[in-house]
Amino acid sequence: MKEERYDDEYKAKLGRHNPFVDVAAYLFLEDIGDKQGAAGMNNYLMSLATSLAKSMPKEEYSSWDDFMDSLLKGESIISSFEDVHCPTENCVVTETCPFTEGWQEYTKRIGEFADIHKEVAEYYNSTVKPGAVDSQCIIHQTFRKAAAERIKVAGKPVKYAQIEAVTPNADEKRAPNEWLPILLNKANITETELNMTMRNNDCVWILYTE
Amino acid sequence: MLDVALVSLIKNMSEKAGIEGAIQYWSRVGENLAKRIGEEAYMGWPSFNVALKEGRTAFSIEGDVTALTDLAITDVDGDVVGYIYALKECVFTPTIKRIRYSVGEIPDADRAVAEEYNNTVQNTATCNFCVIHQKFRSEVSKNITVENQPLECVQLANRGFRGDTKINRRSLERIGINPEYVRSLLRNYACVYGILMKGARLRGSEED
Repeated sequence: MKEERYDDEYKAKLGRHNPFVDVAAYLFLEDIGDKQGAAGMNNYLMSLATSLAKSMPKEEYSSWDDFMDSLLKGESIISSFEDVHCPTENCVVTETCPFTEGWQEYTKRIGEFADIHKEVAEYYNSTVKPGAVDSQCIIHQTFRKAAAERIKVAGKPVKYAQIEAVTPNADEKRAPNEWLPILLNKANITETELNMTMRNNDCVWILYTE
Repeated sequence: MLDVALVSLIKNMSEKAGIEGAIQYWSRVGENLAKRIGEEAYMGWPSFNVALKEGRTAFSIEGDVTALTDLAITDVDGDVVGYIYALKECVFTPTIKRIRYSVGEIPDADRAVAEEYNNTVQNTATCNFCVIHQKFRSEVSKNITVENQPLECVQLANRGFRGDTKINRRSLERIGINPEYVRSLLRNYACVYGILMKGARLRGSEED
């Protein structure tokens, strides 16, 4: 049953995007940005992502291998919106940003992505954590953090950290130089390997327990 | 992901802004979307229907829309002033499926928003998303002209993901279509609406 549920055909069926909802959602967020500015929009995006994660069921795994298995199959809440692979035990790579299709529909039907999506990321980077390129990264990274907090492996809560992201319009954001060696060490990859990975993937992040 | 996140926020939004506030929010989303898509002009109904089939109109953002060209809307003189259109699948079905498998259940606020909309605006919503959707169509039709005439969109019938249906008898009477015929359309389509020239003299309106 599990195999059947997570086969490619099933995922393709569920993953079929709906431009109406995506584009309307971006405009809804822009409306918030117009009324409340970057700070208010940032709060809204973070609350939206946290609320989503909190509405999903908690998870417990007896070992890191079990968790990895669930993560790679897309069964874990943290990978339910994206296809990931893991070059090492703690390094997670997202092949395609789950917002790509929505962004493409927006640019196709509305035009250039509104500036507020980048302005809010600058606010997030300076006040919360430097890792976002635009509003989509704020939702995604906040969701991952909140989702990780709902997962326990061998009784320990899972932690999440962001290394690098590139958006559909090819803007990228890498962790600050002073953090990078620590994050790469946790990911167990070198900076050269990170550069190679980012050539054909959209996001590199880490999951670990303490 | 963005769509699922927004749904998880419905409950929160309804608690903070009230059900009425949520309806106003969604209406504004539909209105903004229509405004931002821009204006369109067509020489006649054939060119509009071809554009629709090829996904070139603003209406195409909703997915595969079928122009039911056997169901022309005619005015008191028998001239064609519009057609009936249908969506095979509600645009929100993929979102609802994603919610089902990633979050679990649809928030109760979904139904509360739809019921309030049915009681206070028009009795045509099967879920809270219908609010955005129907407002979008009604606004976007104002930005499109056929033979230099601005358009009007009327919601006729829809089937929700729970199987419940809404049939707008008043609008059907206005355009002279038998409600039972539209009910049979819902076996194969999730949402049925009419697009017609604004101000057209319809038989149903004349009888009023």
